[in-house]
Amino acid sequence: MATPTEEFFDELGRRGHEPRLERITATVRFNITDGGHASHWRVEIDKGDLHVTRGSGKSCCGICADRALFDGIVTGEVNAIAAMLRGALSVDGDRETWVVVQRLLPGPCSHRRRPFVTQNAVGERS
Amino acid sequence: MTDGLVQTLDGNTFVVSDPQGDIEASFTEPTGLFSYDTRFLSTWALTVDGRRLTMLSTDDLEYYETRFFLVAAPSSVYVDAKQSVIRQRTVCDGLHERLTVLNHQEQPVDLAIRVEAAADFADLFEIKDNLAKKGKYYTRVDDGRLLLGYERETFRRETMISTTAPAQVDEHGLSFDVRLQPHGKWTTELHVTPASPGVGGRSLMPKPSRGATAPTKMRGDLEKWIGRAPRLECDWESLQATYRRSLVDLAALRFSPVLAGGNSLPAAGLPWFMTMFGRDSILTSLQALPFAPELAATTLRVLGDWQGRCVDDFRDEDPGRILHEMRYGELTAFEERPQSPYYGTADATPLYVVLLDEYERWTGDADLVRQFELEARAALGWIDEYADLMGNGYIAYQPREPETGLENQCWKDSWDSISYHDGRLPGFPRATCELQGYAYDAKKRGARLAREIWNDPEYADRLDADADACKRRFNQDYWISDRQHYALALDADGSQVDALASNNGHLLWSGIVDDDKAGAVVGHLLGRALFSGWGVRTLAQGEARFNPVGYHVGTVWPFDNSFIAWGLRRYGYKEEAARLAAGMLDAAEFFEGRLPEAFAGYDRALTRYPVQYPTACSPQAWSTGTPLLLLRTMLGLEPLGDHLVVDPALPVGIGRIELLDIPGRWGHIDAFGRGRVEVASRPRLRRQLGDPVREKSKFV
Repeated sequence: MATPTEEFFDELGRRGHEPRLERITATVRFNITDGGHASHWRVEIDKGDLHVTRGSGKSCCGICADRALFDGIVTGEVNAIAAMLRGALSVDGDRETWVVVQRLLPGPCSHRRRPFVTQNAVGERS
Repeated sequence: MTDGLVQTLDGNTFVVSDPQGDIEASFTEPTGLFSYDTRFLSTWALTVDGRRLTMLSTDDLEYYETRFFLVAAPSSVYVDAKQSVIRQRTVCDGLHERLTVLNHQEQPVDLAIRVEAAADFADLFEIKDNLAKKGKYYTRVDDGRLLLGYERETFRRETMISTTAPAQVDEHGLSFDVRLQPHGKWTTELHVTPASPGVGGRSLMPKPSRGATAPTKMRGDLEKWIGRAPRLECDWESLQATYRRSLVDLAALRFSPVLAGGNSLPAAGLPWFMTMFGRDSILTSLQALPFAPELAATTLRVLGDWQGRCVDDFRDEDPGRILHEMRYGELTAFEERPQSPYYGTADATPLYVVLLDEYERWTGDADLVRQFELEARAALGWIDEYADLMGNGYIAYQPREPETGLENQCWKDSWDSISYHDGRLPGFPRATCELQGYAYDAKKRGARLAREIWNDPEYADRLDADADACKRRFNQDYWISDRQHYALALDADGSQVDALASNNGHLLWSGIVDDDKAGAVVGHLLGRALFSGWGVRTLAQGEARFNPVGYHVGTVWPFDNSFIAWGLRRYGYKEEAARLAAGMLDAAEFFEGRLPEAFAGYDRALTRYPVQYPTACSPQAWSTGTPLLLLRTMLGLEPLGDHLVVDPALPVGIGRIELLDIPGRWGHIDAFGRGRVEVASRPRLRRQLGDPVREKSKFV
C-alpha cells in the first residue's frame, strides 16, 4: 500500500498546474528517509506548472525529513515550520522557495489539526 | 527596559549587558546574548584577579559595536588604577569581543584574567512568562574551545566560545594567566557563536553571509544605507539629529528572516520583538517609503510568501490572512505557542493591500504588484469571507484558541484597550473602528490596482462599490451624534463601544470619514481630552479607563501620531498636522532623537518634558519611522502620477527645511519648506518648536 508521502507526490504529479505557484520557477528536491532507506523526489515548478519525478539531482532547494514526519506533514497533521524549528526537518538552499512551496501541502484543517505533543517533559541538567 | 543596560545588536541577534559589559541574567531579565528568540549566553562576566571591573565609560560606536573602558580597581578618587581594560564588542552573527589589558605601572605584573560563561537557552517567551526548561543541558571542552549545549528531542541549540590567545578552558569559562611588562599590553579576541543544528548537523538558520571582515562590511553597509536616503538640510539642529538617529536605528532594526532569501525588513523592536510582525513591518515600511522604499518591497514579498493558506484555529490562520508574528524559539518549535507563524491580527491583511498600492504610487514598481496580484486578491477576499465574524459587513476579531491566541487583534492589543465610556469591556467579537477604515482604504486602493495594473475593470468596479457602501454604513453605525466622534468599536450585538480614542485619527488617514464629520473629529483630536501638548493620547481624559501611564489607555504613541498627522493632511488640516509634528519632534529632542514606543499622557504643562513609559521598547521600529512620516506630512509630499507634489506646512521655529534627493518614480526630487505655522507656546525647558525667537535670530 502506498504511504501518504507516496500518494502526495503521485497526486502532485497529476495536478499539473498550481496557480498559487505562478510566481515560482524552481526545482525542489525531497529526501525522505525511512530507517536506512531513502526515497527521493524532484518537483520542478515552471511558473506554476508542476513536474514530479523520482530521484535526486540538481535543485535550488532541498527538503530532508523522516518519512513518518513527512507523512504527518502531507496529511495536514504536522506543522512543517515547527518541525523545522525542532530540527526534525531540514531545508537547504533557497528557503524562500520552501515557504511558497508549502502551498502545495494540504492545510492543517482545524478539525484534524492538533498541536504537537511533546514526549518528554522533564527539566534536568547533565 | 531597565535603565543603564547596554544594547548592541545586528538584526535579531543582540546583546543586552550591564554598563561594564557583563551579563548576569536572571531567568526573568532580558539580559544576555539572544539570537532567533533564544538566549545563547546568560552569564558573561569578566574578572581580573578575581575582582569585577569598574566602568569609566561606555561608548556606543555603532548599533552593532560598543566599547567599554574599565579599570581593575575600586572606583575612588584616591587610588589610581594600575591596569585598565578595554572591551570592544561587536555583534555580527554572534558576539565578538576584543579584550585589551594595559599595565600602567613601571613594574611587570602577573594577572589572572577570567571570563565566566554560561547559557540557559531560554526562549524569550520563557523569560517573559517565567517558565522552566524541559530539556537537558550539556557542556564540552574541546580543542581549547567551550561548547555549551541544550537539547530536547531533536531540538538543539549550541553556543561555541573560542579565543585567539591560549586559555585554560573549563566547563564554566576561560582563564588566562597573563604577564604584562611595564606599560605593556595584552590582547585577545573572544568569539561566541550561536548555532541551531538540525537534521544531520546541518544548520537550521542560513549561513552567515558576511564572514570575518564583518564589522568593516557592516560599517560600509550602514554608510551606504544612509547615503541612499534623502539628505536633510535644516535650520533646527534637533531635527537633523533626530533624522540621522531614525535612519541609523532603522538600519539596526532591519533583519533578514530565516526564510526570506537574504532580504531584510524591519523587525518590531528591542528587546522583546526582534522578529517579523505583519502590522509593525507594514506600518514602518509605509512611514519609510519616501526614504527607504526597499523595506516595503521586502515586507510585501515576505508577508505575501507567508500568507495564510488554510483554516487553523491554533494559529488563527485563514486563507488570505497576513501573519501577525513569527518566532523561532523552543516554545514555538514544540507548538506550546502558536507563532509558527501566528495569524491573529485583524489589521495586517487590509494594510498589506494599502502598502502594495502606496508602494507602487511612490516607486512605479508595477512588476511587484503583478507578481503579488494573487496574494492581494486573497487579502481582499479575506476581508469579506473570513473577517466578517458578525455577518454585518465589518471586520471583527475573536481569538479561536483563547489560551494562546491574542485577545485584541488590533494595534492596541492589551487586554483593557477597548472599553466603553463607563469602563466596561465589550464581549467578543469586537469590530474596532480603525479596522473598517483600513478595509475601506484597502478596497479603494485595490480597485486602483485592478483598474490600472491587473487589467480587471469589473473587479475594480466591484471593489469601489463595496468600499463606498462600507463608508456609507460605517458613518451611520459608528458615528455617535451626541458626542460627535466615532465609536471605538461595535460589540457583539452591533452596539457602539462609545469611548473616545485616538483611533479616530486613523479613520482620517483611511479616508472613511464623511467630509461633514471631519471638523468635529479634528476638534476632538486636538482638544484637551486627547491632545496632551506632546501628542494625541491613546484614550481621552474623561474616559473611565483613562490612565496617563496605561499602555493603550492614555499614553501617547509616537507612531499613532504620525498616522494621525497623515490623516489630518489627507483632509486638508495642514496646520493641525504641523502642530502634531511640532509636539512629537520636540519630544524626540528630549529622547535624544530616539522616540520610544510610548510615553506618558500627562499634560505638557504639567511635566514640561515627556515622561517615558516604564517598559517601553526602544528602539522600536514604528517609533523610529515616526520622524520620517512627520517629515512627509510637514512637507506635504504626495505622489501624483509621475510627479511628487510638495505642499509644505511647517511649524514656526523649524526654520528652513530642504529634503534632497527623494527617490521615486520621478527619479530624484528635492523638497523645500519654511516654518510658518504658529503652534501654541507653553512653559518650556529649552527652546522648542513654536518659538518664534529662534527663527528671527536666524533670518532677521
